[in-house]
Amino acid sequence: MSSLSTFSSRSNAKPPQKGSFPLDHDNECKEFMIKYMQCLRVNKKDAHLCRLESKDYLNCRMQNNLMLKEDWKKLGFTDKESGKKENP
Amino acid sequence: MALTLLCQRHCAAFLRSSAIKQTYFTQLAAPKLFSTYGIPKARKKISISKSFSKVCNSTTSVYFLKSNRCNFPMLTIIRTISRTHVRFSPNRNSGRLQDSNKTGLIYIVAVFIFMLGGAYAGVPLYKVFCQATGLGGQAVRGHDTSQVETMKAVDRPIRVIFNADVASSMRWNFRPQQTEVTVRPGETALAFYTAKNPTDKPIIGISTYNVLPYDAGQYFNKIQCFCFEEQRLNPKEEVDMPVFFYIDPEFAQDPKLEAVNNITLSYTFFEARDGLQLPLPGYPQPHDPPQPQQSS
Repeated sequence: MSSLSTFSSRSNAKPPQKGSFPLDHDNECKEFMIKYMQCLRVNKKDAHLCRLESKDYLNCRMQNNLMLKEDWKKLGFTDKESGKKENP
Repeated sequence: MALTLLCQRHCAAFLRSSAIKQTYFTQLAAPKLFSTYGIPKARKKISISKSFSKVCNSTTSVYFLKSNRCNFPMLTIIRTISRTHVRFSPNRNSGRLQDSNKTGLIYIVAVFIFMLGGAYAGVPLYKVFCQATGLGGQAVRGHDTSQVETMKAVDRPIRVIFNADVASSMRWNFRPQQTEVTVRPGETALAFYTAKNPTDKPIIGISTYNVLPYDAGQYFNKIQCFCFEEQRLNPKEEVDMPVFFYIDPEFAQDPKLEAVNNITLSYTFFEARDGLQLPLPGYPQPHDPPQPQQSS
């Protein structure tokens, strides 16, 4: 681990790949967020076990026009995890 | 004959020095009377002959007395030498000095201009250098979007700790929904922050983030988040802000990060005001988020 050296005057922040999420002003996807949080609490904060819930949340966002519709593969979700959900 | 040659050399040398002294002295005394060429010959001759006779008599009198025949030719030789020295030495020296001064000045001015030009040219050159070598963090590693499809999870659990900060003048309540998440490199993960505007006025915020340790920052890629764009919160409004990210699988191969198992993701919100300058990374194009529409 090294701290900021002489040459690293800039922060190591990079722009996000798909830009910024538009704000969910109407809290349309709040239930999915709560479900995801509960799953995390149950599984001791292991994100690997809560991928379905995160997928649900992103799906909600896409359907409510809060996120550009993307192929699940491009978001890192493989076919195995799709389960009962269909690909949009 | 050897003796006459010796005598010639001695006398010529002395006369050279004496001629220079004579000319300088005479020029200093009455510069207007003498031009560089027009030194009265009669006066010069007399003085030279006097000095010549003095010197030659003192040093080589023995030799002269011995060989009579070398007197006249020697004298003419010495005279011509002295004349040439008298005529050309002051001019030659001042000319030389002037020329050398000129060339020196030209060199100095050229060096000055070169340095100045180098200082101006350094800005774009340094940019190119930094992009080529990646020094100073300016060469941002391009996101390989196709990598997200093909990357495989590495079995090395990393703890990502979430931190939320607010600028001192910013009146939002901003906090993470979860303190930490365990994630594997190569797997995408979701995390939430919550922001609330407790005031009666709408406040526009803009955020930036930082990843610690610094070396781990280059492996931390975000697919989508809420940073670097203005976010508006109406009065008394509370929203959830997600961050969708993944850690590059190459994280596991970096020797510097062998002992690193905790990464801290720290967000800071600022109030978006005119003249606010955030250290934003190189955004190539402005991003237009999809307009939220009410689905009926």
